[in-house]
Amino acid sequence: MQNIAERYTGASVKRSEDPRILTGTGCYVDDVRLPGMLHAAFVRSPSAHARITGVDVTEARKLPGVIAVLTGEELDALTVRGPGAAGMFSAGLPMPSFSVLATDKVRLVGDPVVLVVAESRYLAEDACELVVVDYEELPAVITQEQALDPAGPPIFEDLGSNVLVRSPVATFGDVEGAFARADRVVRAELRQHRHQNVPMECRGVVCSFDLGSGELTVYSATQGVHIARTGFATQLDMPLEKVRVLAGDIGGSFGLKLGAAREDIACAAASRRLGRPIRWIEDRSENLTASGQARDESFEVEAAISNEGHILGLRVKMIIDTGAYPGLGGMLPEAVKGMIPGPYKIGALSFESTAVITNKASYVAYRGPWASETWVRERMIDLIAKELAMEPLEVRLRNVVTRGEPPLQMLTGRSLVGVTSRESLDRIAALVDVEAFRRRQAEARAQGRYLGLGLATYIEAAPGPRTPGGGGGIMGPEQMRLRLEEDGTVTVFTSQMPHGQSHQTTLAQIAADEFGVPFDQVRVVVGDTDVVPMGFGTGGSRSATMAGGVSLHGARALRAKVFEVAAHLFEASPEDMDLAAGAVSVRGVPARAVPLGEIARAAHEPGRVPRDLEGDLEVTAEYDGGEGGWAGGTHAAIVEVDVETGQVRIERYLVAEDCGVLINPAIVEGQVRGGVAQGIGAVLLERSAYDPDSGQYLSSTFMDYLIPTACEIPRIEIEHLETVPLDADVNFRGVGEGGMIIAPPTLCNAIEDALSPMGVRVTEQHLPPCRILELIGAIALDP
Amino acid sequence: MSTFDVELTVNGTPRQGSVEPRRTLADFLREDLGLTGTHLGCEHGVCGACTVLVNGEPARSCLMLAVQARGADILTVEGLANNGVMNPLQQAMWESHGFQCGFCTPGFLMQITALLVENPNPGEEEIREALSGNLCRCTGYESIVNGVLRAAGHDGSPPEPRH
Ligand code: FES
Ligand code: FES
Repeated sequence: MQNIAERYTGASVKRSEDPRILTGTGCYVDDVRLPGMLHAAFVRSPSAHARITGVDVTEARKLPGVIAVLTGEELDALTVRGPGAAGMFSAGLPMPSFSVLATDKVRLVGDPVVLVVAESRYLAEDACELVVVDYEELPAVITQEQALDPAGPPIFEDLGSNVLVRSPVATFGDVEGAFARADRVVRAELRQHRHQNVPMECRGVVCSFDLGSGELTVYSATQGVHIARTGFATQLDMPLEKVRVLAGDIGGSFGLKLGAAREDIACAAASRRLGRPIRWIEDRSENLTASGQARDESFEVEAAISNEGHILGLRVKMIIDTGAYPGLGGMLPEAVKGMIPGPYKIGALSFESTAVITNKASYVAYRGPWASETWVRERMIDLIAKELAMEPLEVRLRNVVTRGEPPLQMLTGRSLVGVTSRESLDRIAALVDVEAFRRRQAEARAQGRYLGLGLATYIEAAPGPRTPGGGGGIMGPEQMRLRLEEDGTVTVFTSQMPHGQSHQTTLAQIAADEFGVPFDQVRVVVGDTDVVPMGFGTGGSRSATMAGGVSLHGARALRAKVFEVAAHLFEASPEDMDLAAGAVSVRGVPARAVPLGEIARAAHEPGRVPRDLEGDLEVTAEYDGGEGGWAGGTHAAIVEVDVETGQVRIERYLVAEDCGVLINPAIVEGQVRGGVAQGIGAVLLERSAYDPDSGQYLSSTFMDYLIPTACEIPRIEIEHLETVPLDADVNFRGVGEGGMIIAPPTLCNAIEDALSPMGVRVTEQHLPPCRILELIGAIALDP
Repeated sequence: MSTFDVELTVNGTPRQGSVEPRRTLADFLREDLGLTGTHLGCEHGVCGACTVLVNGEPARSCLMLAVQARGADILTVEGLANNGVMNPLQQAMWESHGFQCGFCTPGFLMQITALLVENPNPGEEEIREALSGNLCRCTGYESIVNGVLRAAGHDGSPPEPRH
């Protein structure tokens, strides 16, 4: 192990990804070039809900340069039906039957209907124009009310209605007693609007089926190559071994690029049929319209409170709009139910939920998919504070758990060991100086300026403390292979599939420290199902603990194995080995050191070491998450709202966060800032908007779907809290999702505080200027 | 469809091709010349990922046709490093952990290159203004702004928070 003073772990080591990214020599999926490669484009539905009555591809097939035009029916015959990428999240939920491309009906604007394959993308799009699809329009189901209407047209006939799943009331603690005892009850209907991932790189795939070997090779922008491989193998009815998925650089995802998408399967099936490589690169309007969207939940909440601000009980009813093709959305209410008490001493809880299907883009994971639990809780706490005329910080401090004191677990079951929410609240309070702010706020108001302070707290199970019988969280344990090469470097094979998270840097930092080689002598290999171990890939804020942990333990195991081989060469004991400056020696005899590469070569050469040590100097390690721990923190925003224009200016944004031991502070802070920026975008700008009557999608370009620019995102001040180590070795915790989970309630709380002289009560998350002007009564309410 | 000859200079090297009039400069660079460092994030002129310098001026290569670039002098992200050595802007971005996924990166680097020619010592507000036509979904922009400040000769550490 390196001396503490020269450890890479904990230092903002410059990223090993950057030399290729900064010189334009990275390789994203759109950069893959294969001989004879063809280009795909899709004919997509112009309607939200319609029956397909005819598809005429005659003219399209005649266009020179067009190689194939495949209808939904034709592709249905070439593939196996199934939930596809969504299936991994929907186990146990009702699952309607649907084909890879639409056959009977289209169920959202942008539903793919016909695949065109041509010599160029230009020609493929020309041919799409020549395809004639006849539709018989059906009423669009867009709002929750429409979806819940039993008289509405079922989007999937075999489900019978547009209610996907209705979960009965679950209760924790004495809910009726809490409400009977309450001094007051605070009620609110809260809504989180639909918005979406919008990675700067759209989705894409290059599929290449080799007629000779019967093997399919897929280059994909995906968060996990093995999950994608399973998707291709299942829907193409191929053995897993015949499918290889490769991924290179990926231009962001935030939850979107998981598994094999319907378009991916269509391209793979076409490649198998044609025996030629096919590239499909989604364009931005397809991405905004049809790749998938997130959030879109409404809540009815009642809080039973005491006059001292204690939360005695909560009653929560949730409705989630899962969009057209069922997947993640159906299982999210369970996660929301489990997390809704957060780090607070909530006395009792009742929770019920309904998941509905609508003619909108399918619900996909987006950075903290269950984040509505934090939004609802943190908004309610401010509404409670308003009711009691108390400082919101004070309400939080009265209810938040204190480390080491009961309750030691959440009302819904999870252990709260090591939670530092109280510490982060205290830290933010000190950084902001709430009293000084209130004085400044009062002075500003006297001059007609509206300042507001908002804060909010969250915890995330990234991975969460060890639960009895659990191991590695819902996505299972993490594996890694590590190998000492003949040049003395270490190669690490991980199933993590970084798409901005910099794992090629962070995992190398940890392995370098633990093994004892310089950082630049560790190479991290990702993105090839033929060589990386099985595993989910990157998501769920699990990489820091799970992949970081297996990197540490794996490097330790590799070092032990290297020492074992070296001990044979020295005819000494492994315990007496020492590693320094890239060479192993018997402790105390550095003059006779053997370079690491020589040890790897010795293992490769027959007869130099015992048979059981011969071969690659390699280990396979597995890690179950150890003792785990919570990630979390408190954010605060100070805003000024211009009541003439409705513009919100963020004067200060502060973060006090605990993600355990930092591997690379600059990378952690990048994750925090990026997440906060998305949260700011969600509140001030972004909305996936549909016309409620026609079901038309209204946000299909970057002129309509606005994401924040450098002018909207302020500098973000970050403090790292000292963490509570739970594990002997691994106390890195996930930080990818937190910023996006907590920024929306932070900002909403600040905006409501700014507008409190006008009596504004914020019950929705989307607060663009026009909405703010409506709320303060400057313009008429949109009916 | 008939094609037209295009001759132009890219990163100091004369290049030529024969293109349909509708072919975008971005596709010409990426598909015909194999310069895939320039990225396409929207193809409708908003995201800035496709920004290249045309005769020194930033241009959205998704909105420009290859035939419009006849005779032009084009600089793309591949032309920034010198014999494999990153230029000071690239170095500064590396030091500042400027980017994450890297998809927006070519556009930012080209836009910043133009900015620093025009104003070698921009302040933070000027930088943010100049970059407001380039979208990044990963970083929240602060690290990119720090990279520009560093490239402009500031030490790259964030200024004192504004109170
Ligand atoms: S791709 Fe040209 S501006 Fe977005
Ligand atoms: S670094 Fe990913 S979009 Fe900018």
